[in-house]
Amino acid sequence: MGATVAPETVLKQLAELWVSTGKEEQGEDGTGVLRACTMTLVVLAEESDDAQSLGETLAALMPEHPARAIVIRLRGAGERALTERVYSQCWMPFGQRRQICCEQVELTASDAALGDLPSVVLPLAVPDLPLILWCRSARLAGMAEFWPLAAMAHKVIVDSAAMGDSLPRTALERVAETNRRGILVGDLSWTRLTRWREMLAQVFENQENLARLAKISSVELECGSRFYVSALYLGIWVNNCLADAGGRTAARRGEGRITLDESGVSLRVRLAGEGLTVELARQGDRMIATVNGVSQCTNLPPPSEYLLMREELGIVRRDPVFEKTLASAARPAYPTGK
Amino acid sequence: MPSENPFQDPLRFERRVPECVVVIFGANGDLTKRKLMPALYRLAYDRRLAAGFAVVGISRTPMTDDAFREKMREAVQQFSEATTLDEEVWKAFADGLFYVAGDIGDPELYRKAGQRLAEIETYHHTGGNVLFYLSTQPSQYARAALGIGAAGLGTGNGWRRLVVEKPFGHNLASARELSGELHKVFDESDVYRIDHYLGKETVQNILAFRFGNGIFEPLWNRRYVNSVQITGAESIGVEGRGAYYQEAGALDDMIQNHLLQVMATIAMEPSASFRAPSVRDERSKLLRSIRPMTPDEVRQNTVSGQYGPARIGGQDVPGFRQEPGVNPQAQTNTYAAVAFFVENWRWAGVPFYVRTGKRLPKRVTEIAIHFNPAPLHIFDQDGAASAPNLLIVRIQPEEGISLKFLSKRPGAGMTLRPVSMDFNYGSSFGERSPSAYETLLLDAIIGDATLYTRQDMVEASWAVVEPIQNMWRETKCEFPNYAAGTWGPAAADEMLARRGHTWRKP
Repeated sequence: MGATVAPETVLKQLAELWVSTGKEEQGEDGTGVLRACTMTLVVLAEESDDAQSLGETLAALMPEHPARAIVIRLRGAGERALTERVYSQCWMPFGQRRQICCEQVELTASDAALGDLPSVVLPLAVPDLPLILWCRSARLAGMAEFWPLAAMAHKVIVDSAAMGDSLPRTALERVAETNRRGILVGDLSWTRLTRWREMLAQVFENQENLARLAKISSVELECGSRFYVSALYLGIWVNNCLADAGGRTAARRGEGRITLDESGVSLRVRLAGEGLTVELARQGDRMIATVNGVSQCTNLPPPSEYLLMREELGIVRRDPVFEKTLASAARPAYPTGK
Repeated sequence: MPSENPFQDPLRFERRVPECVVVIFGANGDLTKRKLMPALYRLAYDRRLAAGFAVVGISRTPMTDDAFREKMREAVQQFSEATTLDEEVWKAFADGLFYVAGDIGDPELYRKAGQRLAEIETYHHTGGNVLFYLSTQPSQYARAALGIGAAGLGTGNGWRRLVVEKPFGHNLASARELSGELHKVFDESDVYRIDHYLGKETVQNILAFRFGNGIFEPLWNRRYVNSVQITGAESIGVEGRGAYYQEAGALDDMIQNHLLQVMATIAMEPSASFRAPSVRDERSKLLRSIRPMTPDEVRQNTVSGQYGPARIGGQDVPGFRQEPGVNPQAQTNTYAAVAFFVENWRWAGVPFYVRTGKRLPKRVTEIAIHFNPAPLHIFDQDGAASAPNLLIVRIQPEEGISLKFLSKRPGAGMTLRPVSMDFNYGSSFGERSPSAYETLLLDAIIGDATLYTRQDMVEASWAVVEPIQNMWRETKCEFPNYAAGTWGPAAADEMLARRGHTWRKP
């Protein structure tokens, strides 16, 4: 196992890779390969992470967000190790004759070599394009070595639900800390809620419902443990919106509540007040929206890691709604049934 | 009551869609089955429609609501592209489908429709918003609009809008007359004239390409652009629409609307904002800047054609005059090529060659911008290597943008060869592009008319096309003058050759 990586060598290997891929793919019709790149995507993953699943997610992301992917596999404690591997990820779009290829660099680093990573990643980043850091390692997110890597990024993406903290609020506090340091941050637990929030917003596009918004007097959430952090975000967001609308902030008055179903994977939110009851509930792959007893069913595919990352990679700028929700969620104020 | 919806998050959410009813006149017709219903179902599938969304289908055939739902279900199954029919989503969508039978000229139809709309407003909470969609014979447009008005359906608790399919008249006078009739019931701002070309992703991408980047606009003028070619080619014939087509022809069917709108998009001045009035003003200004031709100029700058029989890929293909329902002596143009000139400072002297035709070698719609050559040839270039720089915007079938330029061939010596730098819309972004009808229907529901054609634009197009129409009508042509499966009549090549140009073969 090597202990050093020379970025210049990696860049040379990347250049050679393109030459050889071009030669291999130069078909009889001379169509060749097309190189595409819109960002550098740095992925921090434990070596024990399912490599195949991660590879599939990256492959799915590449057609929409073509990137130079730098996957850093964390080996944990032990002998100092730092190695590299360069390869390309190609796909043939349906009905096309030309392959599209993106380059990937895989670095393996033991804990002892973590401090060397920024000096390797920085020269490997594609110039003039954003660098996105996707941290899948809860362990590294809690280490001091995380911050120099985060500081290089235009945006850091984490999943607070997977941070392994016993208290969800601790995970949210860590996400909020990243934001406080001036780094754009995305949380996949928040991204999981987009379709839910959109559906709720749609309900209040109706002027009659909007007129009754100020009379909402209770907000109830029910969730399985898998969605606990998301439910926390959802509750805070709903309350912030109600407060913005000048309504009775149910949660502040102790009427909002999260009920945790330890075994389930459900998520349900219910807003009720004079003349209006709105409920959104997950049923398998569908969402049932019920407004004053009238239900509507819509397709809600499970939010795979690919779908969540696809949305987050599309937003490389400040997200005021999320930042406001995150700032509120990191404060201990919301009553829960846990 | 809050004036704004506090739950909205424009950064992450799709655009807001108000609750409404879409009333389709001609609900039993081909357009409804092939395009409108699959597009509406897809919007429902993607959760783009509001909870109380409903459709009222109107047609002469007596049918129950359930029979209409079943018919639409079959249409969605047959004609939806890249969308499977999800039973649960369909059930919720179908619950909002209703049907009213009647004759467009009969006031009773509008009374029944009004009754249905009132019921739907109560139970679906649509707020009185209604989008009327005329998918009928063009001759019925005015009657339908006047019927809506006479029954008092043109106004209500919410907004009322009218979508009209092309053709918007068959010449300048009839276009004005139609607009006059529609305006008796609907304000111009509530009339949405649909041109599905403008709903295509790549046509919208022209605006992004031109006005979202700083590097192209400085080159976008007579100083650097030598000529522009806009091609809308179809490989199929009239496909059973011979009787209709022989009255319209390629000039009216394609150039007057689709291709002139594309030309306006490629040549318009930057708009002050991306708001509908701004963008439409600029498009309209460009159309009004196209020089209407004198009879002599029509002879010099236009070519009409009609395909004759041929054998393509081992199969015999009939000529236009042999198509069912077509007069064997028909003088219809199935091919039209026109050199337009825009009279403004940006484009003075730059020819815009626009061509369209049926039974051409392939189905392709594209814009090719030919740039001027380098002022001095310092390399020893052969003919092939001195090819001009081309910027090609492909609208269909493979949407994308290509830039062709010269590059040194690897090895000793300085030999140049043309290379192509391609951006392919479909493969660079893996996401499914919405169909033009999905985009345009949603825009009409939202009230965004940016991609719709305004009365002054329609009139400006007719003002340009009418002199050609008149001249062609007076001239007896020697048809057929091109064989099916070829790139059109030789006269079209000669028209370009007179200016030292040649047609691109896409």
